[in-house]
Amino acid sequence: MFKSIKKIIEYGRLTQEYPNDPVNIDGIIGCPVIDPLLCTGCGICEKRCPSEAILLDGMTGKAGIRLDRCVFCCLCEDICPQGAAKMTKDIELAEKSREKLMPGGITVCECDVTDVSEEDLGELLSKKIKKMFGRSLKIREVDSGSCNACDYEINGLNNPFNDIERFGISFVASPRHADMLLVTGTASRNMQVALQKTYAATPDPKLVVAVGACACSGGIFRGSYATGDGIDTLVPVDVYIPGCPPRPQAILYGILKALDRVR
Amino acid sequence: MTGEVALEKEKYTAQKIKALEEKGLMGTVKRVSDNEYYVNIDPEKIRLAAQEAHNNWKMTLVSLFASDERALCQCFALYYAFADRKAGNLFVLRTEIHAEKNEFLSISGEVPAAALYEREIQDFFGLVPVGHPDPKPLVFHENWPEGCFPLRKEFEKSFRPSFADREIGFARVEGEGIYEIPVGPVHAGIIEPGHFRFSVAGEPIINLEARLGYVHKGIEKLCEGESIEKGLHFSERISGDESFSHSLAYCQAVEKIAGISVPYKAQLTRVFFAELERLVSHLGDLGGVCLDAAYGFATFQYRMLRGWSYRIAAETCGMRFLRSVNQPGGVRKDFLKGREASVLLQLEKIRKELSETTDLVRSNTLYADRIENTGILKQQTAKDLNAVGPGGRGSGVECDVRKHFPYCSYDKLDFETIKKKNGDISSRLQVKSLECMESLKLMETVLHELRDLPEGNIREEIGILPAYGFAFGMNEGAKGENIHWLMAGENNTIFRYKVRTPSFCNWPALCHAVRGNLVPDFPLINKSFNLSYAGNDL
Repeated sequence: MFKSIKKIIEYGRLTQEYPNDPVNIDGIIGCPVIDPLLCTGCGICEKRCPSEAILLDGMTGKAGIRLDRCVFCCLCEDICPQGAAKMTKDIELAEKSREKLMPGGITVCECDVTDVSEEDLGELLSKKIKKMFGRSLKIREVDSGSCNACDYEINGLNNPFNDIERFGISFVASPRHADMLLVTGTASRNMQVALQKTYAATPDPKLVVAVGACACSGGIFRGSYATGDGIDTLVPVDVYIPGCPPRPQAILYGILKALDRVR
Repeated sequence: MTGEVALEKEKYTAQKIKALEEKGLMGTVKRVSDNEYYVNIDPEKIRLAAQEAHNNWKMTLVSLFASDERALCQCFALYYAFADRKAGNLFVLRTEIHAEKNEFLSISGEVPAAALYEREIQDFFGLVPVGHPDPKPLVFHENWPEGCFPLRKEFEKSFRPSFADREIGFARVEGEGIYEIPVGPVHAGIIEPGHFRFSVAGEPIINLEARLGYVHKGIEKLCEGESIEKGLHFSERISGDESFSHSLAYCQAVEKIAGISVPYKAQLTRVFFAELERLVSHLGDLGGVCLDAAYGFATFQYRMLRGWSYRIAAETCGMRFLRSVNQPGGVRKDFLKGREASVLLQLEKIRKELSETTDLVRSNTLYADRIENTGILKQQTAKDLNAVGPGGRGSGVECDVRKHFPYCSYDKLDFETIKKKNGDISSRLQVKSLECMESLKLMETVLHELRDLPEGNIREEIGILPAYGFAFGMNEGAKGENIHWLMAGENNTIFRYKVRTPSFCNWPALCHAVRGNLVPDFPLINKSFNLSYAGNDL
């Protein structure tokens, strides 16, 4: 008992001050960017990208990255003959619509985004949500076919370094108690019904956040016989968090973004 | 390996092949690399041969899979991989099933571990295991139409058949006062999906049937026809917390087919990251069991330790899950260069805190009461089902790929395989916490050695792989033995990629371990195995 208390005193407070104090670890890998000035449009990265996240712009011929598909594998950085592709440290990437995760100026014609959240909820309702959830939020996590890395990172939000409860946010055991669904995975064939039932069981008003490349677009598993291509084909999504997996702080950023509590 | 030992092992294997010959079971023997023997066997005689290997030679069935080789030999090929852990050899019985025949003899009666593999083959290839005790679908659920077999070559990988409504029941236990508790697929915690059907009499669990397959993504099919380079990224995403060991197994298979050896520096770097992954995973499990037993203080101690270990990963390679570290032929970068001293300091800090925490936790009698004699996996059951990793070693099974099939210069490193006899939660946790210490020791040794190594090559080129060359990649991940089998296609593509994760072996073992225990103890037992759903479902 005394030894336990001694330990508790010894370590005091471990919690990092994110988002007030940004993540600053040497060498962490965030999203890739392609420098349009250096890019010659040779298309090597487009051909070899494992999740088909790189597209050449039809107008300028330069490469751009679709962050909803990117799995942050660093391959483009390694193979770009011009050195145009670079991995940055940027992890605060969450956006409220999939279009914002696509490279600027690129018309993505085969895009199958069915983000109906705005039509469904409307401006009024979304204001109401923010008012209601302003200081407190209960989250139910649903894995709809991930590789479990995203789930471990969501678990990481509960560790002493991130301690999500300091924001009044906590995880609950049932969708009946939840205000927000945090969904990982590709919406695999066998999980589609379960995901829809969980969504239906969550009381209105509710928010849905897609965590990771798989949930945003299907990621590397896009186009398989056993997966859906992202969860927005089944349920309306409010915020997309890219990453494979996104770091706990990136997930936290996405959750706060859904509540309009950052920027 | 010294020459003498190698010679003795060869003699040992030659004896076995001769014994098969004498029984008239022998076909042609093909030796691929130094420890893989492929023996062609008549499909009618597979039961006898499997019995011989399993019962008389005490070999373990470590993988069983099919491959659609109709384009090559007008047949489906079945591979029964038996591991001879004593001699460090893989003995693979290969049979050919004629394309029109669509059935094969089940060996589940003789070799219990084969049961799940045979159901899997039935799901993916439509080959029926004749004489299987419970031949219901394994991966596919009610929504999958009959007559659709994704791993047959004619099946288009992006084809999504319409939703069917089949009936697949659960095993029913009948008797007075027995009722069922259905749990899942969406669980209460932050965890992957799976459905558990408990048959319960009052408090004790009579039977548990785990229905998995919810996170099946079709990885094996997705890989087919893709480039070797892309296969690596799939292998890293088989199971998140085992990213490194799965990509390592993939790379080992590719390197074996290419016939290249990995530079020493890259081997040591791989050992470092493999042990780091083990440390992170074990710390998570130790904390997880404490959390489920409502022992908050210890949970947060372990989570703090885990956070420190993750930090080492983020600082050295930029990725907490050690992705983009491996590459066929070596490693992507010299990640540890110049960081040895700072990592050594952090490891020392972890070691000190971990040993103090373990002492504290062990002195808590309330906690000990929950985990001792709970969830016992008997040694014989563990052996029959080929329980691997800490799950098997906690029940006294001698299995550690690092010792039996040395790779990445593990044979030159000094470490112990931890084994406990009781088979309860406490044994498995002791195995894990002692293994953390061994991992720390190994990482330190490797860092000292790397510091003294001169600048050097960290990657060999794999070149063009021989078409239809095949090999196994094997290593010991945090959860146990990973076995990947790869057959290359033409122009550096993948023809067939079979992944056998440790979780696939340990799920049936878990279902046995919970019998007779109370329902509230299930989460603890489950966490003490810490199985991957994604790794099982692929």
